[in-house]
This record gives sequence, structure tokens and C-alpha cells, in this order.
Amino acid sequence: MSNIELGFWSFPVLLLMVFLRAPIGLAMLLCGFGGWFMAMGGNPTPLLAKLKSETYTTFSSYSLTIIPLFLLMGQFATLSGMSSALFRAAESFVGHRRGGVAMAAVGACAGFGAICGSSLATAATMSKVALPELKRYGYSGGFSTATLAAGGTLGILIPPSVILVIYAILTEQNIAKLFLAAFIPGILAALGYVLTISIYVRLYPDAAGTRPPVPMAERFKALAQTWPVMAIFMMVVGGIYLGWFTPTEAAAIGAAATGLVALVSGSLGWAILKQSLIGTARTTAMIFFIVLGAGFYNGFLALSGVPQFMADWVVGQGLSPWLVLTIILVFYLIFGCLMDSLSMILLTVPIFFPVISAMDFGMSPEHVAIWFGILVLIVVEVGLITPPVGMNLFIINSMDKETPMTDTYKTVMFFVGSDIVRVIILVAFPSITLFLLS
Amino acid sequence: MHRLIRSLAHVTALIGGAVLVALIAMTTLSIVGRSMNKFLHGDFFETQMTGFSQFLLDLGVGEINGNYELLEAGVAFAIFSFLPVCQFYGAHASVDVFTSALPDRFSRWLIAFWEVVLTSVIILIIWRLYGGLERYLGNGETTLFLQFPVWWAYAASFSAGVVACIVAVYCAFARIGEAVTGTMILPSEHGEH
Repeated sequence: MSNIELGFWSFPVLLLMVFLRAPIGLAMLLCGFGGWFMAMGGNPTPLLAKLKSETYTTFSSYSLTIIPLFLLMGQFATLSGMSSALFRAAESFVGHRRGGVAMAAVGACAGFGAICGSSLATAATMSKVALPELKRYGYSGGFSTATLAAGGTLGILIPPSVILVIYAILTEQNIAKLFLAAFIPGILAALGYVLTISIYVRLYPDAAGTRPPVPMAERFKALAQTWPVMAIFMMVVGGIYLGWFTPTEAAAIGAAATGLVALVSGSLGWAILKQSLIGTARTTAMIFFIVLGAGFYNGFLALSGVPQFMADWVVGQGLSPWLVLTIILVFYLIFGCLMDSLSMILLTVPIFFPVISAMDFGMSPEHVAIWFGILVLIVVEVGLITPPVGMNLFIINSMDKETPMTDTYKTVMFFVGSDIVRVIILVAFPSITLFLLS
Repeated sequence: MHRLIRSLAHVTALIGGAVLVALIAMTTLSIVGRSMNKFLHGDFFETQMTGFSQFLLDLGVGEINGNYELLEAGVAFAIFSFLPVCQFYGAHASVDVFTSALPDRFSRWLIAFWEVVLTSVIILIIWRLYGGLERYLGNGETTLFLQFPVWWAYAASFSAGVVACIVAVYCAFARIGEAVTGTMILPSEHGEH
């Protein structure tokens, strides 16, 4: 079998393993091992030699060290009390409107996303704060859970974002520019959700209660409480952008600052610290195992020449670049319902990115890479809130025992709709994403 | 046995976590030092307070030497020491939409099967890591800035890797036990992302 045939055969094998519930990192490792082994004519020596240093090199890669740092920062952020400060501030401004408490939850999620790079953590943390309040003001169960599940995806859209870091490494793009480019689409996402909420409460007025407005002075007092969030965000993202420090250093400073806030707030005791370290440990190990597997698998794919072959083939078809982009995004939307976003990015970007790079969108290659990255980030995140297996839906629903899953499913489709409209806008107008870069 | 393995995994993860926290502190200090150093080399101190700034600079205010090297070696160690808890809690990401419809018994065996394969792969990886350790021990290569032998970093990671192997072997047996007896032994959850 030629290398290119090996490469093509590896896809169905990999998918079969994944669908048979193999850990995704393991499936990629096995395919990578198998591919290398066969491509070397059945000689295990090169593979065993490669293994001597590959694992250590991956785990000690400077650009990847940012991941555990951002994860720990996210853990500290959930303990820092900043989630409730953000929610109280947003709630005092818009809570008296119809659907206002839900809008406040979305706003607080966006704010929290600025210091937390994970969707699940954002969704889970904000739910703790916002779910009881939503219930108190008579918001229906499905509406509350769907709002928080959708709001959680802002955690990863608004920088810092672990997924964007991975994309940046895979495609050799500048992390600072990707973070900057994610900013406006992130804000648009929050506005889209707010709009969705206001449409939803017009359609179903019973789904939300109201309450009297809060005096102006108190609103600004609540807003002032959120200063640590703004300070940390400015320092981390601003510092990377202005070149004060490398992204890894920024993550370290961010983790230190968030840890300090958590410490001052008094919620970071010894037992809690242990818990957050173990939590960070689990997620970090899981991510790096997938990264390791993807490294081997993608190394094998590159050796087989499949990505180049695919790119040439697609270009040779003479299809419109926009059609190809649409097909890829739809593919992500469908697969996102089944697979987690990180594995999907690691598996598909090495194949799709060369295809997209080979197409002419009338933009510089760097701009195409950044724009494509943001689009992919958004569509894989939609997967977190699409039934049947959106992880965010599970997390939130498990926190609200009274609401049946089907109620969450029904309402969340409104938010999925808002996501799809936003993707269409961002595809049609790349300049929105690239605005801050020019 | 179960509690012993659980504590082993936890303690290892906490050591890794402590290293991570220490690295965060070091990196932060290093950046503060670097900014101070730049500031002390600025116009004001160069012309007005030469003695004072020189005094501070002589004390070593500046970037911590070789902090990138320590960060890389430390994070590698931390990640190896995070593997046991990931293993113990079954936190690896997987897709179970297609298997959730299968009978319980069948999916237990499927999980046990993959756990055994995963354990073999982890042992393979750590065994090869030892190969890397031997190589650096043999050639005496040192790092660029701090000049510490590269094999130290490998040895630290390898020791955490050995714990990962022990925990993985236990988990493999425990999952087989679960499949045979139909009871739950290990905590189980899906990887988050």
C-alpha cells in the first residue's frame, strides 16, 4: 500500500475506534503508531526511536505550557467571587427589563469569559450564581438553562481561549492576533444572545418575570465591584498584544493575579486549593494526551501526503472557495454535535487548513488563517449547545434537577439559530473579524 | 488497595500542581524583575540616581536566568504527574453517542478493552521515555542557560510516569473487574473540554 493510501485508510479506522468509545487521544495515537509502522515498511525501530523524545518534547513545548496556566487561571476565576460580582453588576443595569435577568446572565458570562478560557467552567460557574436568581424572578426552567448553556460558550469565544491557542499552534499563527480577532465576534455573540432573549420573551411572555429597577447609584457601585475582571483582562490580553510579555507569561501573570483575587476573597482555602489543582490536573492531562495523539497522527498524515493531496484535489475541482468554506463549516456543525471541540480541531484543522490556504478569498494568507480560525472556533462551540450531546447542556441540566432535558433542548434551538445567523454574517463580511487587526 | 491507588494519584497530582504554582510565581517574579530592570536602565535612573539603580541592578534585579528552561522542564513534569488522576477518574475524552444504546454489559467490556489498550500504550510511552533518559544520561547534554543536565528533567518526568503506569495497570484490572462483576469500582466521568 502506498503512503497516500495508508493515509486515506487511517480515517475510517480512526472513526471506527472513536465511535466504539476509544478515548480520542488513544485512537489518534494508535492510528499514528500504526501508520508510522506501516509507512516504514513494518520496521518498528524508527517509531521507537521517535518515541524516546517525542512525549517529553510535546509536554515541555513552550507554546503549549500556556494551557495548564490558563486552566489553572480558570479554576481560580471560578473561586474568585468575580462571577457573582459580574452578575450583580449586569443584573442591576438590565434586570428590570422583560428577560433582563437572563440578559444579565449572558452579559456576566461574557465578562467571565474574559478571564476564563473554558466554556464548561464558564457555564458551570455562572449557573451557580445565576440559576437561583432566574428562578426567583419567575424565569421558566428551560429558558434559564438554555440561556446559561449558550452564555457559557462565550467563555471560549472571548479571549483568552484554550482552543484558539491550539489553533494558533497548529497553523503557526500569532496568538495575540487571534485573540484580538476573536474579540468583536465574541461581543457580537453576546449581543445576538441578548436579542434572542428579547425575541423569546416576546413570543413567550410567561417565561420571564419582572422586578422594579435598581437606583442608578447602586448600579455603578455594583459595576465598580467588577474592576479586578477588567484589570486582569487588560493586563493579560493587552500585555500580549503590546508585546510586554509572551502569551505564556501573560497566562502565568493572569493565573497569579486571579489566584490572588481568590485568596483575598477568602474562598481559596487549603481544601479548595487542593480541589482546584486536582481539577486542573485532570483536564490538563486529558488535553495533553489528545495533543500527543494528534501530534503522532498528524505527523503520519503529513508523511503520507494526504493534506497536500486533498488541497490539490479540491483546488483542481475549480469549486468556489466560498462553497468549500461553507461545506467545511457545515461539516463542523454536524460533527460538533458528536465530538468535543478540542479533538475536532486537532483532527481536522491539519487537513482543512491547507485546503483553505490554497483557495483565493481575496485576502492575505494571514488574514484568511485568522478569519478561518475564528469561524471554526464558533462552529465547534455551537456543538456544545446542540442536542443531543452538547456538553454545556448536560452540565447545566445536571445543576437544575427540576428542569427536564427536553425543555432545555427546545429553548436552546433559539440560541443555536442566533449562532448560525452570526456565522453567516461573519462569513459574508470577513472585515468584521479582521477589523481590529487593520 | 483502591484507597492506596487513589491517594497515590492524588498526591502525585498535587506535587505536579505545586510545581505548577511555583512556576507561576517564578514567571511572575521574572517579569516583574525584567520590567524593573528596564525601568532602572531608563533615563531617570541612568542620569539622576546612578548609584541607587546600580545598587539594585547589582543585587540581581532582572529577568530570572533560564526561567524558560525551568518552565518547560517543570510543566513537562507536572503533566506527567497529572496523568494518574486523569486515568483514575476516567477523564479521557471519548464519544459515547453510538455505544450508549448498547446493553450495559457490552459497554462495560468495551470500556475495559480500551482501558487495557490505553494502559499498554502508557507503559510503552513511559518505557521509551526511559530510553530518552538513558540517551541523555549517556551523552551528558546540558541546557543552554542553566547548564543543568537534560537527564534530570527526564528523570523527574520518568518518575511521575512510573506512577502513571502503576495507576493505569490498577485501572485496567479494575475495569475488567467491573466488566466481570457488573459493579462500579472506579469513578467515571467524561473528559471536559
